[in-house]
Amino acid sequence: MTKITLNGREVEADPTKPLIHACHAGGVDVPAYCYHPGLTPVGSCRICQVEVKQGEAPARVVVACRTPVAEGMVVETESPRAHETRRECLEFLLKNHPLDCPICDKAGECDLQDYAYAEGQGEGRSVEPRRRLDKRKSLGDVIVLDEERCVLCSRCVRFMEEVPKTPQLTVGGLGSRSVIETFMDRPLTGNYQGNLADVCPVGALTLKPFRFQARVWNLKKTPSTCGECSRGCATSVEVLRSGDVKRIRPRYDAEVNTWWMCDTGRFAFEPLNVEGRITGGLARQGNTVRPVDAEDAAAATARILTAERPAFVAVTPWVTQEEGQAIRALAAEWKLPTYLVSPAANGLEDDLLHTGDPAPNRRGLVELGFQAKSPAEVLALLHSQSAAWLVGERMAALLGAANLAAVAGHKRVALFDVLPVDGPAIEVFASVPLYVERAGTWLNVDGVVRTLQSSRPLPSGFPTLERLISLVSAAARPQGAALR
Amino acid sequence: MSRPTYLLDRIRPDSHTLAAYQKSGGYEALRNALKSKTPTEVIDVVKASGLRGRGGAGFPTGMKWSFMPDPAKDKRPRYLAINADESEPGTCKDRVLMERDPHGVIEGVLLACYAMRASTAYIYVRGEYRESYNRLFEALREARAAGLVGRKIAGSEFSCDIWMHKGAGAYICGEETGLMESLEGKRGHPRPKPPFPAMFGLWGQPTTVNNVETVFNVPFILERGADWFRSMGTKASTGNLLVGISGHVNKPGVYEVPFGVSCKELVDGYAGGIWKGRKLKAWFPGGSSTGVLPGSAIDVPMEHDAIKNAGSMLGTAALIAMDDHACVVRAMEVVARFYDHESCGQCSQCREGTQWLSQIFHRIEIGRGRMEDVQMLEDLAKSMAPGKTICALSDAAAIPTLAIVKHFKDEIEEHVRLARCPFVDPAHAKRAGAFAHAH
Repeated sequence: MTKITLNGREVEADPTKPLIHACHAGGVDVPAYCYHPGLTPVGSCRICQVEVKQGEAPARVVVACRTPVAEGMVVETESPRAHETRRECLEFLLKNHPLDCPICDKAGECDLQDYAYAEGQGEGRSVEPRRRLDKRKSLGDVIVLDEERCVLCSRCVRFMEEVPKTPQLTVGGLGSRSVIETFMDRPLTGNYQGNLADVCPVGALTLKPFRFQARVWNLKKTPSTCGECSRGCATSVEVLRSGDVKRIRPRYDAEVNTWWMCDTGRFAFEPLNVEGRITGGLARQGNTVRPVDAEDAAAATARILTAERPAFVAVTPWVTQEEGQAIRALAAEWKLPTYLVSPAANGLEDDLLHTGDPAPNRRGLVELGFQAKSPAEVLALLHSQSAAWLVGERMAALLGAANLAAVAGHKRVALFDVLPVDGPAIEVFASVPLYVERAGTWLNVDGVVRTLQSSRPLPSGFPTLERLISLVSAAARPQGAALR
Repeated sequence: MSRPTYLLDRIRPDSHTLAAYQKSGGYEALRNALKSKTPTEVIDVVKASGLRGRGGAGFPTGMKWSFMPDPAKDKRPRYLAINADESEPGTCKDRVLMERDPHGVIEGVLLACYAMRASTAYIYVRGEYRESYNRLFEALREARAAGLVGRKIAGSEFSCDIWMHKGAGAYICGEETGLMESLEGKRGHPRPKPPFPAMFGLWGQPTTVNNVETVFNVPFILERGADWFRSMGTKASTGNLLVGISGHVNKPGVYEVPFGVSCKELVDGYAGGIWKGRKLKAWFPGGSSTGVLPGSAIDVPMEHDAIKNAGSMLGTAALIAMDDHACVVRAMEVVARFYDHESCGQCSQCREGTQWLSQIFHRIEIGRGRMEDVQMLEDLAKSMAPGKTICALSDAAAIPTLAIVKHFKDEIEEHVRLARCPFVDPAHAKRAGAFAHAH
């Protein structure tokens, strides 16, 4: 490590990283548009200028993103000269900026807006007409480009070149006529386009699914984990007041996904805003199905599992380690085999993040002792055995709702899923929360612990899956046994 | 005007051919150097001669060459790139050399390659210079056939190939790192320095970029010696240089003069004085990116330090003269529009600033200026330079702006007061606006 003096304070700096990294690591906020820690610095926006003194040479103003740290370097980020240089740069950046923050999706998390406020650049001196360019240029299915807002930092160009390594964007035109373009105006392709909206420091690149959906300051952001493959990318699940998940964004995690995530995971939030859920559960008697509360559904499940043999327990790979452990303990008590319904590889595998295995907690559940079985094998078991306890969201989706409904009426199945399935064999249904509503851990494909947090409150009378399992466990014991 | 000359002496109707070149002693400097001098000795002679780059910055050539890493320690391939993308408005000196004496350029390139132990050179020729390209291309073909370019040159162990590249019309590709990006097939976006080209140049390998006229001097220096070279010019700027004189003079053209000749003599003597018997009002000493000076400051030696002291730069020694009928605001409007058009657009200050300057000068020229614009011009130019951007294009737009505000503030204010250009007949004032964006 290299020792530098940052605003009068001695700090340790990583000599392999540019000066701006040391500033940010030292808690000093130096603005940056073209610099992104995950991309090659180019030093073109010039907003990160700071004053640096090395040895006896007079202090210089340099761009922090292209300056290597050196032992004994004295850095002043707030000196009048540094401030003035950055103010000048900001004035140029704002000269042609449309200032349409009131209708810009980026407002509230825009680096240009934040820094313009911070520097008190309230009024422009320009009387020239602002540049008029295309304000809604589609770059494919995911991204819309607003050329007027663009500050030409080229982060998007470098992202495509360096991260998914599929160069598709370029700066077209020259000088003040520069615009971001795709090669030959072709639409963008690939599974990592969504990151472009994240790397864009302003509101030039926005996500089609998020356009005009929410003001970002109204979103409650919860750190979570992506449930779309066994990589388990760190995410931020962002929920509007209505409770709808409006956006999922990657969250920095050095070990797993750094700054990025794939579009499969990013745009998998529609199923999270599911409608038609019921509180508690359903119980079938003959041809009639009646609503019951969670306790009754648990008790009915316990009755099936203690009465019928042969029987088995199967879970989906969205079940957490904590839930899986409780299920294993219960199954051991009842001497029931435990299976993991294992979805087939979905062919989305790439060299970057997506593993192609849509089972986020496969590794964890297998390590707990769940035996992986294909949906077809589990269906065969349903037909051959007397009873089953099917636990976990997306169970009906994995096995096929029609296949479940087709199981013969003399079989006894307890289904713990998000939405009920109507079928003669399904004797009990209990509503379980989605993974974005539960707390717990998964183990990703490399055995790294991934943490889930509840990103929105559960409706009243809606127990967690852990609570449901303990209700089943309690119901199986003789009266009073649970009290002891 | 009986000063010793050498740069343009060989020029004849057939001087672009190998036969004519060899008849006048061509390629002898190369043969002799290959036979009797080590590369280090070549660098030492060039260093001793005091030769400074002729591309605008005036950096000592021998020192630039010695920045190339030691080939014993650094085994990477190394390149020489010749900057023949002569695009600075007013400059047209390299063109004369390439069209009329292309073998002289090639011999200079080979000697520079030998000195730096480079086995590949690229000549980046401005796209509009078709004749230059064709003459150089033909000369290369002849030289290659004669065993002077390629493997084992002139029977020695030295091999060097030279490739030609045509620019596509971007001024910024004349900036050395922009030129390298362009040669690599990318957009001509200048690279931030460091790393410097000598360490990380073309394709990441050690590279030196030299101007055409710079290497053209080298065979003369090796043939006639460093002392001969130092006998011309001044102490700090040795040798002769080519001066392009354009604008309102009677005999515009490219002239060979030793460093230190008075600019007054250049205009009144070499260029035959200001046309139509008028007076010199303003002049650019070295191309449009150097600060404009008032006519009263013409008695200054054409030499780096003297012109710097006068408040401008020698640049490419392309003197542009304006007579007293010329409007400097109109001239500056054209210059500002040029830099707006040619900014690569990477750096915020340059991309937005060049456009802003151009818009303000345009407004002033068509009579829509405001008094506060004068201060704005100065503020903006100071925000754009010096050294605030990746390359010097931002400076190139800011420097003449500051110079105009300094020397011709009255004329700008006159435009604002009259709400029109004082040099345009009021009856036709409206038409002045029609000049805009003819580029």
